[in-house]
Order: sequence, then C-alpha cells, then structure tokens
Amino acid sequence: MSSVSFRRLEKAYGPLRIVKGIDLEIADKEFVVLVGPSGCGKSTTLRMLAGLESISGGEIRIGERVVNKLPPRERDIAMVFQDYALYPHKTVYDNMAFSLKVRGVPASDIRTRITQAADMLGIGQLLDRKPSQLSGGQRQRVAMGRAIVRRPQVFLFDEPLSNLDAKLRGQVRTEIKRLHQAVGTTIIYVTHDQVEAMTLADRIVILKGGEIEQVGTPDEVYNKPASVFVGGFIGSPAMNFAKAQLQGGRLKFEGGADIPLNPGVDVKSVALDGRDVVVGIRPEHFSAAGQGATLSGRVQVVEPLGSDTLIHFAVGSSTLTARVVPEMRPSPGEILEIGVDPSRVHIFDAGTERALH
Amino acid sequence: MAVASNTSPMIRKSESASQWWTRWLDPSERTLAVLLLLPAALLLSLIIVYPVVRLVWTSFQNLSLTSGVPAKFSGLENYALMLEDPIFWEATWNTVLITLITVPGALVFGLALALMANLPFKRKWPVRLSLLIPWALPLSFAGLIFAWFFHSEYGVVNDILRRVGISGIIWFNSAGWAFAAICLTIIWKTSSFMALIILAGLQTIPRSLYEAADVDGAGRLRQFFEITLPLLKPAIVVALIFRTITALQTFDIPFTMTRGGPGTSTSTLAMYIHQNTVDFLDLGYGSALAVVMFAISMCVTTVYLRMIRTKG
Repeated sequence: MSSVSFRRLEKAYGPLRIVKGIDLEIADKEFVVLVGPSGCGKSTTLRMLAGLESISGGEIRIGERVVNKLPPRERDIAMVFQDYALYPHKTVYDNMAFSLKVRGVPASDIRTRITQAADMLGIGQLLDRKPSQLSGGQRQRVAMGRAIVRRPQVFLFDEPLSNLDAKLRGQVRTEIKRLHQAVGTTIIYVTHDQVEAMTLADRIVILKGGEIEQVGTPDEVYNKPASVFVGGFIGSPAMNFAKAQLQGGRLKFEGGADIPLNPGVDVKSVALDGRDVVVGIRPEHFSAAGQGATLSGRVQVVEPLGSDTLIHFAVGSSTLTARVVPEMRPSPGEILEIGVDPSRVHIFDAGTERALH
Repeated sequence: MAVASNTSPMIRKSESASQWWTRWLDPSERTLAVLLLLPAALLLSLIIVYPVVRLVWTSFQNLSLTSGVPAKFSGLENYALMLEDPIFWEATWNTVLITLITVPGALVFGLALALMANLPFKRKWPVRLSLLIPWALPLSFAGLIFAWFFHSEYGVVNDILRRVGISGIIWFNSAGWAFAAICLTIIWKTSSFMALIILAGLQTIPRSLYEAADVDGAGRLRQFFEITLPLLKPAIVVALIFRTITALQTFDIPFTMTRGGPGTSTSTLAMYIHQNTVDFLDLGYGSALAVVMFAISMCVTTVYLRMIRTKG
C-alpha cells in the first residue's frame, strides 16, 4: 500500500496538450476518483501512472519512488481495464495466475491467493471457464480478481463499469466499495459518471480540459462547487443556472424575479454589488412556496417520477428544473410560486465562472 | 402448422390452372430459395462438377492423342501403371518435400514479416506495399528472376558468397542445390501471402491485452508466446490450408527455374501431369495423376478443417 503524488504532470502529443500540469497528492489507502467529460485527460493521467503512456513533463511518485521512467511491471500497480482485457484463450484461473507465474510465485501460493480472491468475489465456481463463457458482470469480477491476487501498492480502475448495464453497474459499484473496505489498498478510479464518483470516492478530482477544476470530498464538491462546470457536472438532475445581477443584497433575475442573497456571501469582501453573476440552484433545493424565499415562473413541463416530480419552469430567459414532492403537480402554463433556501443558492462570477463564496 | 401441411395436397389437387399460375408468381420461400440458388448451382456444376467428373472418367480410359487409337475404358490400368512408375514416385516425393519445407518456411518468415509490419510505423503504407509486391508478382516471373539470382556466373547469390570467401555453387547442376534454390524462391514468393493473413489476425488482437500483460509483468518474448501466438492460431491455420494446397500444386517456379532438372530430380507432380497431358498428350494417364493430386489436396484440407473444428 502506498501514497501517490503527481507534480506538475503534463502530457502533450505534439502541440496538443492533453494534461496541463496536474498537482495532486493521494494518501495511502485513499479511494480517489478522477472524473470529467470525454477528453479531459483523466484516462491519460491514469495511464501515465500505470506506465502505459510516457509523461511529457513533471513527476509521478508511488510511495517515495519516482516512477517516471519505470516500465509498468516495475511500478507494483494492478489495473482493471475498461474492456477487462482478460486473456480470451486462458481460463479464469490462468488469467488470475498469469502475473503471479510471471513473477515466479510458487504454485501453492498462487492457488491459495486465487482461492482467497475468488471467495471474496464469489467467482470460485468460474475458475475453469474461459472469459467468453462469462457474463459482463462475471468478467468484471474476474478482472478485479486478477488485480487483487497481485497484492499491489495501488489499484487503478479505468472506467470499469462502462460496459455494464445500469442494474449490474450498481451491483458491481457496491462490490468495488466492499473490496476497498476489505483490502484497504490505495485506489485510483477513472470515470465519466458522477454517480460512481460520488458513491465510491473518499475524494473526487474533477478534471476539465487537462486541468484540475476542483478536488474535494463528495460533500464538498456537491455543496461547494468551485465553478459553474463542477456545479453542472456533479448532481443529477444537473444544477440550474440563471443569469442575475446583485442589487442591494438581492439577486435580480432577468425578467424581474428576485431572491435574497445567500447569507454566507460577504458582499463587501468580494465587491459583488452591481455585478453580473450566474446563479446556481440544485433542483432538489426548491421546495413548496412559503419555505425560504419565493421565486415565480411559468410552468413549461411536469414530469412525475413516482418518488418525486420534476417541474420545468421559465424565469426570465432561463428554464429551471425543480425536484419536488410527488403531490405537487402544477399544470403547464400556470404561474408557479416555488420556495428556495437562499443559503443553498450558489453564485458564480459571470466572466470567470468561478464560485464567489 | 400440421393442419396446414395436411390440407395443402388436397388444395393442390383441386387448384385450377390460374391458381397454379398465381402460386408460381407468388412462390413459397422454399421454391424461391431454390430458384435463387439455381443459377449459381448450374454455373458451379458447369465449371467444377463437370470437369471433375470428366477428369475421373478420363482417368479410367486409355486415351492417348498420339496413339491414333480411339479412347476405350481401361478400368484401373492407369492407376496400376502409376504404382510402377518411378518418375511418379519421384515427382510425388518432391512435391511432398517442397510442401514440408516451404510451408513451415513461409510460415516462419511470414510471421516475422507480419510482426514487423504490425510495428507502429508512422507511415504504414510503404510497409504494407512492400509486403504485397512479392505476392502480386506472377509465379513464373518470380521463377525467372530467381533463376538469374542463382545463376552460377552472373547471379547475385554467388556474388555475395564469393565476397564472403565461399566459392560459387553451380546451383542447377546438382539435384540438392537446385532443390534448395527452388525452395528458397517459393518461400520468398509465398511468405508475403502468409504475412498478409497473419497481419490481419494480429490486428484483431486488442491492444489492451498487451497493456494488461505489461502491467502483469510479462516481457515481450513472454507476451509473444502467451498472447500473440495462441490468439493467432485461427489465422495461422487458415494460412496453412491455403499455402499447403498451393504447395501441393507447385508448378510455375520449378518449371521456370529448372524444368524439373537435373534429370527429373526437381520435377513435381503438377509438372509430371503437365508433361503427360500437354507434352505426351496421354490424357488418360495424365488424368489419373491429376485425380491422385486432387485426392491428396482433399485429404490435407480435411485434416486442417478437422483441426480447426477440434480447436473451436
């Protein structure tokens, strides 16, 4: 088990810079998720850590060792690939045993380790099968088993759930979390799915355009998004954004509606008064009128989900979405009066799109 | 369904000419399938089944165009003659030997070429083109070029040998050296074909398997034997089937390089068939020889196909 650190890590293909100087410290036994949209550099960063991609600049450390030039086999890492990368001509047992055989581990030790890992993952009955005889979920577990038997310093997961259906994804996600709790090894996990990031991570690293946008616990990135991008990326349905202007301690929306400013925002210290801002409100932070401040808008679409109702309504030129109790069923075209807690309203600079509180 | 099939003959019996005509215009799927396959089946019969049947029939006849005697059925006489013909045995042995030497030779060189062509070159097309050139050359052309390469006085091979201090070899005067020259030429000519099929196989192996093996700690050599070679097996078997069948039919290269000489020492079964049918116009005996070659090819193909089925 080991810590991992990136210092000014860079990757460029000719003039195209994919990773633009990432600094990150990952503690021993920590579960860190790198998340971001396609092309943000998350998989490239993971592959540089694995040694499958060379680095263009900076430094990677695993524990106290600088591993910049070391080949993958000398980094003491194990990786679970997006397509599982199981050897199709080998049985499950041989897939799991391969790395141990290469390292000259005695056959009796190999058998013990594989039996332990198979028991942990519930794949004991599959050891004689070939990968083609397994379901997607079983393959995923074999890929994890292959990584576990190695007992590496760091586990790397590269979008391991993206080939599974939604139901199976939920199950395997739980298994990965259980695995981390059982083995306690440092895990670095790449995904584009914010639900996976929120449910699995001790800390989430949100990447955009090859740079870190925010690093924090799931609570931090959800409750204190550092930018419009983070606010929009984390949370489902996505955070609502609307243009507004701060005037006399109130947020004036285009179209005339206004609400009081988040009491946590110090207007003087950030010199906000009169400036254009982007207001971010999560759909789940709307409530029935009369609770907190009231915002009004014309209802466009109502989507009953059973457990709650999504109401899409227009405030000025912006369309907002509210997730409210299922009993609330306004009609399209009606003027909706809806409550919002000012302390949960996020304010971002309209120019830089960074949070102002 | 059972009810429908029981009633259909009754309906058919009572149907009028116009109903039959309607059925003909709107045929069942089975009739339609037969109709659609018929042209291809007829064409295949014309160009494959008829010649094969005719060949087998001719092999049972005493048919020599130089004898002036009309063809007559002779049973297995041609086959009996073959068993006592030393040139037949020599030509068959040469054919088998060429197959046993050049097929594995082309496989090894083809595999090496495919592995090279699969390297991450910035420009792939010159590599692929250089693979294609030997394959695209006509066999007889390759034979003529290599006959020059192996020429005792002016050949590039002897020139190189002399430069490294080895006295030149008179390649086409000795049965052994002539055979070696033919085999080398065939290996050069056919390696590119093997390489193309193996290259296609190599490109189906996902890169992530090698990355997983890298992370697992396997070196390049281990990756080759544990990943590349096992996953190439289907492509290699296909290449071997094609190459073996064409090796059993070897004609052009020895014909253009040695004409079977010295003596008949480099003559192949295909050359002996050609000699009997074209030079001696002995169509009965030539056909019997061709039937034997056809049978050998079929046996080899069956063995390979069984191998694939077993592996599968």
